[in-house]
Amino acid sequence: MNSRLAKVGLAAVVVSVAGMLLIAGVGGAQAPKAARPAKAAAPAVPAPAPLGPLPPVPVPADNPMSAEKVELGKKLFFDSRLSGDGSSPCAACHLPEQGWGDAGEISRGYPGTTHWRNSQTIYNSAHYNKLFWEGNVTSLEAQAPAAAEGNVAGNGDPAMMEMRLRFIPEYVAAFKRVFGTEWPRITHAYMAIAAFERTIVSDPRKVPFDRYTMGDKTALTAAQLRGLAVFHGKGGCIQCHHGPLASDQKFHVLGVPENEVFKTEPLYQITHRWEQYQKGLAENRYREAGQDFGLYYQTKNPKDDGKFRTPSLRELKYTAPYMHNGVFYTLDEVVDFYNKGGGPAANKSPLMRPLGLSEQERKDLVAFIESLSMDEPLIVKPPALPPYAVMK
Amino acid sequence: MNVPKPKRSAKALVAAAALVCWAAVGPSAIPTRAADGAPAELTPLPAGRPLNQDMVELGRYLFFDPRLSGDAALACATCHDPKKGWGDGQALSRGYPASEYFRNAPSLLNTRHRARFMWDGRLDGADPGTLVRDMVTESHTMNADGRLVQERLKQVPEYVAMWQKIFGKGSDPYGPRMFNVVGEFIRSIESRNVPFDRYLRGDQGALSEEAKSGLALFKGKAGCTQCHHGPTLSDGKLHRLGVPENPQVWNDPLRAITMLRHYSTSGMPGYMNARTDVGLYAITKNDKDMGKFLTPGLRDLRHTAPYMHNGVFGTLAEVVEFYQRGGGPGSEVRPMGLSDAEKKALVAFLESLSGDPVIVDAPALPPYRPRALGKN
Repeated sequence: MNSRLAKVGLAAVVVSVAGMLLIAGVGGAQAPKAARPAKAAAPAVPAPAPLGPLPPVPVPADNPMSAEKVELGKKLFFDSRLSGDGSSPCAACHLPEQGWGDAGEISRGYPGTTHWRNSQTIYNSAHYNKLFWEGNVTSLEAQAPAAAEGNVAGNGDPAMMEMRLRFIPEYVAAFKRVFGTEWPRITHAYMAIAAFERTIVSDPRKVPFDRYTMGDKTALTAAQLRGLAVFHGKGGCIQCHHGPLASDQKFHVLGVPENEVFKTEPLYQITHRWEQYQKGLAENRYREAGQDFGLYYQTKNPKDDGKFRTPSLRELKYTAPYMHNGVFYTLDEVVDFYNKGGGPAANKSPLMRPLGLSEQERKDLVAFIESLSMDEPLIVKPPALPPYAVMK
Repeated sequence: MNVPKPKRSAKALVAAAALVCWAAVGPSAIPTRAADGAPAELTPLPAGRPLNQDMVELGRYLFFDPRLSGDAALACATCHDPKKGWGDGQALSRGYPASEYFRNAPSLLNTRHRARFMWDGRLDGADPGTLVRDMVTESHTMNADGRLVQERLKQVPEYVAMWQKIFGKGSDPYGPRMFNVVGEFIRSIESRNVPFDRYLRGDQGALSEEAKSGLALFKGKAGCTQCHHGPTLSDGKLHRLGVPENPQVWNDPLRAITMLRHYSTSGMPGYMNARTDVGLYAITKNDKDMGKFLTPGLRDLRHTAPYMHNGVFGTLAEVVEFYQRGGGPGSEVRPMGLSDAEKKALVAFLESLSGDPVIVDAPALPPYRPRALGKN
């Protein structure tokens, strides 16, 4: 990670926090009075940032947006030549019609392999300050190469992908206009893809909860309003799912059940061991690794075993299945899991405790969570891709 | 001699180390000439060290196993097919899916007797394990991550059992050893029952009269032994012959891409401006190495057409005709001045250097099996 990008990530946080403060200031995102938690149930943590419409996407100073860059990034996002064997463009695991994920429990991965985690949505990924389930990168510009070059994802060699771009005259011209270089560079390809991804965001006018927050008191149903109260109160969801993104962008252990495929399926087992190996576990931990250690791979601190980054709750209508390993197919299952206080885990978050929600409260909560999704998904059709040509 | 700047891949570092080593001892360290300066003798293939037969056996499985490539689509045998003289029968090799390669897939016969590997001679012939590693991990050939291949092998109980028979109980399939195992198999691929070898051992009837006169030309008037001598009939050096470009390289963007990308990752200056195959120059960056390629061995040519680094010649007669002219632009060789009958005799001799086809059958590959999670 270069420090420049790290700074951009930090800037994004500042912008995001500023946005939250602004919203809090005008009171636009306050939960309705009925939703205020009873004092007895209030957790002993600082008041969380309120939910509310997302601010404009943060844009890093070294990768400004332009229509032409976004258009180039869109093509590259769908272009299978940005993968090892021409099979796995970004869009292979981030399909617009599958909520910009791939609808599988575990992402399909590169041919001959599988991935080992759920393919996360592109929706609103521009608002995160860290990406991937273990937060390994801090910008979309750094996420793109990790995916395009990762051996169980795109498995592309950067020098090879770069040379392919140089034999596509339309790209040569577009890169020259957008980045001013004689020949396309792979780092610029990743920047263009990041710019495109910054356009895949929720439109507040289409999100019932956002319309409600902006003053349309009819935007939520009675059930959703009751769910909103549960979210802030008895459910305690707001403790981690707060701010416009409905994520604290921190890492927690919930005790999510392991996905059974790792116990029985050779291809998944291969990737499971490979991940432990290539993420640099000490041999003794590699030998015994029977779970996904999450944030631990970044910190090598046993306290972080099994921690995963809190995902946003926006657009969940379109992004099933859920959790880092896709074990839950419906929001009902997810809510049931939280209602039980999560699963067994050695260092489970103290915030995870049985909630004692009634069946009605659970239904209301799901209804509310669905109000954080747009009325219709954002679909981008695959663009026509320019062909190779003999170089002069 | 310039050495490529170290790059981030271990592969590049090893390649650089090999070059440094090469620069230190010089290609002349390879015995190519007799002490009196006369061309070295033509000799039968020497017996090498005994091979580890357990490694050869596991290596045979791995050689045919596509799980050694990134998307499990290609095995070593895909481009080094025993039935095609351990090459692929194509002028230009196919390469990894979505790529096409820009040079000919050389035969693997008699690999163990070679001084260097690759048409640009960048790999040390004493180390077939590194050759295998380069092929398995290189983007335009098998494009696999070595660590992923290692975990794939661990998922095949038969492979683990064969591995432990070689390396001991408790040993796991592991990168460098994995590649050495395949390298040991490659060492086992040798010419069999070659008429010329029988002749050298005293069987006067092993060569036709025409082939015998071809042999005399080979050593004399045609001057072939200047570069083609020793047991594999190669000096292990790189020379410029001015072989015509294969138009399929530049006219097919997929091949041009792999060529320029190879130059780019070799650290060659001005790589975007190259339009022809520069050969050794991409490795040394020394102008005098422009267009130089490794002298191939001449054994088993009957099974390994087409010929030259880019497969432009389909027959030995075409190759001899090319030398007859003294090669192409910038060639180091002189016109041979052979009569038509002499050219035919030379081809007859070259054919006597081919033995019986060396066929190794593809084994039935054992499948992945589930393992106990957490017992890695």
